Amino acid sequence: MSRRSRAAVARSAGGDRTLTTVLGLVLVAASVLALLVGFGVFGSFRAQRPVIDPMIVEWVSTHATAARWIAIGIGVVLFLIGLWWTLRSLRPEPRPDVSLSELPGERLTVEHAAICDAVRHDAELIDGVSRARARLVGTPQKPALRLSLTLVEGTDVRDVWADLDGRVLARAREAFAVSALPTAVRLELDATSAPTPARVQ
Amino acid sequence: MRLLLRVLAPLLGLLLAVVGLAVVVETVTLWVSPASSPLIVPWPTWLTAAEGLTWQSGGVRAAAIVIGVIGLFVLILGLVARRHDVFLADPVPEVTVTTSPRSIARAVGHEVRAHDEVVSASVVASAKKVTVKAATLDPAAEVRDTVRELVETTLARLPLARRPRVAVSVTTTKGVK
Repeated sequence: MSRRSRAAVARSAGGDRTLTTVLGLVLVAASVLALLVGFGVFGSFRAQRPVIDPMIVEWVSTHATAARWIAIGIGVVLFLIGLWWTLRSLRPEPRPDVSLSELPGERLTVEHAAICDAVRHDAELIDGVSRARARLVGTPQKPALRLSLTLVEGTDVRDVWADLDGRVLARAREAFAVSALPTAVRLELDATSAPTPARVQ
Repeated sequence: MRLLLRVLAPLLGLLLAVVGLAVVVETVTLWVSPASSPLIVPWPTWLTAAEGLTWQSGGVRAAAIVIGVIGLFVLILGLVARRHDVFLADPVPEVTVTTSPRSIARAVGHEVRAHDEVVSASVVASAKKVTVKAATLDPAAEVRDTVRELVETTLARLPLARRPRVAVSVTTTKGVK
């Protein structure tokens, strides 16, 4: 299992999960800290101090300019992080076209849809595969294939593999002129009891 | 949970952005033209409301608890929203093969239900463990071994990267054979 084929299994939610976890940690930490202060863990005198602490109020009124710049700085940072996070998680996963040649004058790219249709068609011809879906992920320079296959009940997975590597992926590699194409295959086992009938052309 | 994360993550991001923007706007308004402050957020009202409160006040504690509960929810959401793919052994380098726990459960379920002595069965599967609950009209102990063997052979046919543990429980139900 290569790192790139492993990464092609599914769109990563790592960024969203990290940010969500950090936000949760910050909220929990703030809450626990406030409760601890309130219950007098840091001294019973501190527990009786007002929430809007006079010392802080005094510092803010003597250093008004600094306090304003700090507030603006915090606001800008929050705004940028929030905006970046939102755009990042709303952006759809790219479907790269594959560039076969970057030479000036003979630049050659293959459209995403063309590749995927070909691979899907090849995969559906395998015995025991009732449905196939294909898409490319990654960048135009380093594409990876994500293939999901629905297998008919009772199909031997090893036979499907042999056909997949020998026919479908071999052809795709040949078409891209690469020796290895990182591929993530997702199998749905036993989803239907019979293959879907051949489509009438 | 993954779907919830997918929906909530951009909303949380948007919330952060809005809070940040509000802080900047209010601070700049207070600085540039104090007469028109507060512009949108009524923060002076909040300030007067919080004036008399100490860290011991019930309101402060309640707010802290509410924030803590929300934080815990967000934290757990971030931690549990992982994928539950079951990995199969790689046929060739550069190829990763996965399947869903549901697929495993379906394959095992078909085999178990096809067995003559089994009246009904339910299967729960994950990458680490396959749990089968079956009902039979025969003595449970005998059927349990058969079912276990059946499940083991089904799993052996799938080239799984790591073989899950198998837990089988069989109960005898009343009925006419």
